Amino acid sequence: MLRSCTAALRTLRALRGRRAARDPVPARRWFSTEKVILKDHALPNPSWSKDLRRLFDQFMKKCEDGAWERLPSYKNSKLVKEQLSQAQLFTRGYEDGLGFEYVMFYNDDEKRTVCLFQGGPYLQGVPGFLHGGAIATMIDATVGMCAAIPGGIVMTANLNINFKRPIPLCSVVVINSQLDKIEGRKLFLSCNVRSVDEKILYSEATSLFIKLDPEKSLT
Amino acid sequence: MIRRGFQVAARLGHHGALPGGPYILPRFSPASAFGSSMDSLVSRFCQEKTDLKNYTLPNASWCPDMLNLYHEFLEKTKADGWIRLPSFKSNRNHIQGLKLPLALTVTSDKSDCRIFTRCIETEGQGYEYVIFFHSSKKKSVCLFQPGPYLEGPPRVRFAHGGSLAAMIDETFSKTVYLAGEGLFTLNLSIRFKNLIRVGSLAVLNIDVEKIEDQKLYISCVAQSVDQQTVYAKASGTFLQLQLEEDSSQY
Repeated sequence: MLRSCTAALRTLRALRGRRAARDPVPARRWFSTEKVILKDHALPNPSWSKDLRRLFDQFMKKCEDGAWERLPSYKNSKLVKEQLSQAQLFTRGYEDGLGFEYVMFYNDDEKRTVCLFQGGPYLQGVPGFLHGGAIATMIDATVGMCAAIPGGIVMTANLNINFKRPIPLCSVVVINSQLDKIEGRKLFLSCNVRSVDEKILYSEATSLFIKLDPEKSLT
Repeated sequence: MIRRGFQVAARLGHHGALPGGPYILPRFSPASAFGSSMDSLVSRFCQEKTDLKNYTLPNASWCPDMLNLYHEFLEKTKADGWIRLPSFKSNRNHIQGLKLPLALTVTSDKSDCRIFTRCIETEGQGYEYVIFFHSSKKKSVCLFQPGPYLEGPPRVRFAHGGSLAAMIDETFSKTVYLAGEGLFTLNLSIRFKNLIRVGSLAVLNIDVEKIEDQKLYISCVAQSVDQQTVYAKASGTFLQLQLEEDSSQY
């Protein structure tokens, strides 16, 4: 079961390498194994606002020439390879539209991850606005993905977020994360959170991730 | 006592309009600032006589460490000036009779909103936590037990960085609100040292460092029960913003 799933994921990585053309139509895809069906949550559902859909379509077009790649998002940790699972169990534990609705796109040349994020009513902090902790979770997930793709198994060492203005609940934001440099096992990343039209800067963040030694125990 | 006027537009306006258009926010009135008003702020927050579900009561998912420390702090609430903060499903429940200044009211104000850290109803799956607050010392202690939904790295049952960041931000938020009407996070800076095993207890010790220029500066150390393992050190800055009386309720 695990082998057939990892085979599917190996295909994804191979596609990235070969710059294959992507299917522009976002059909709901199901990877089936012998016993479990994996649902890819990084695809549109009825709770997605027009803004989110529009941005999704824009990025799917960018995927056509292979420069960008959409990252699938699964809920079940047992069947997911290291890179794809970070912070995704929690963020996928909601009914459609209530919590985190998001999709991530990765650009290997630029070492950039873009996350289109729509935060629902269960992520409230100050009434009417997104909870700072929910924003921190998504920033950590986005920069974490940006670190994990080149770095493998990584752990957050530092996270520094400047909140410029509060994000209204149920709005769509674009989290743009960049790998700035690698020094040995240290990965330095930065990221900003903007409105769909890029006119409002909501937050800026910098972070440091450490590549873990897979042989060593974590405890 | 902070006496000068308070214009958030000066800070937020630099980056363009707040969503909805440019606004000048109301002056921070010193009349209802600290001292005895902190007590009223706390008692309003705690909503003693309420039918609302209080998520900070022990449940079956709490590990022995969490139960023990909880009872230890509960004892301290009897004489030592500690208060156990209740936790309701939405922050709105904590501020009944109050509202944000008009400029910040947003239209997407759905009734079924939940505070992020109480979004997972199933006991033990997400954030299990309780915060004890000491008003004169301006300190808090948060007992935090992350559930399996907060798992990060696969194959090993540790909570991911974002979940601790969220817990720190939430504890900071409640502390700065009660210590000085802090409302919005301006900055959050966390240095992660060690991973927290899912289902185990992390103890967050929070101190308000200073209150200056309508900002509250706050710090946190998150460690294991026996204090042998430091999970993270964090600091944060919050913006002071006074809530207004909600006359529409009367």
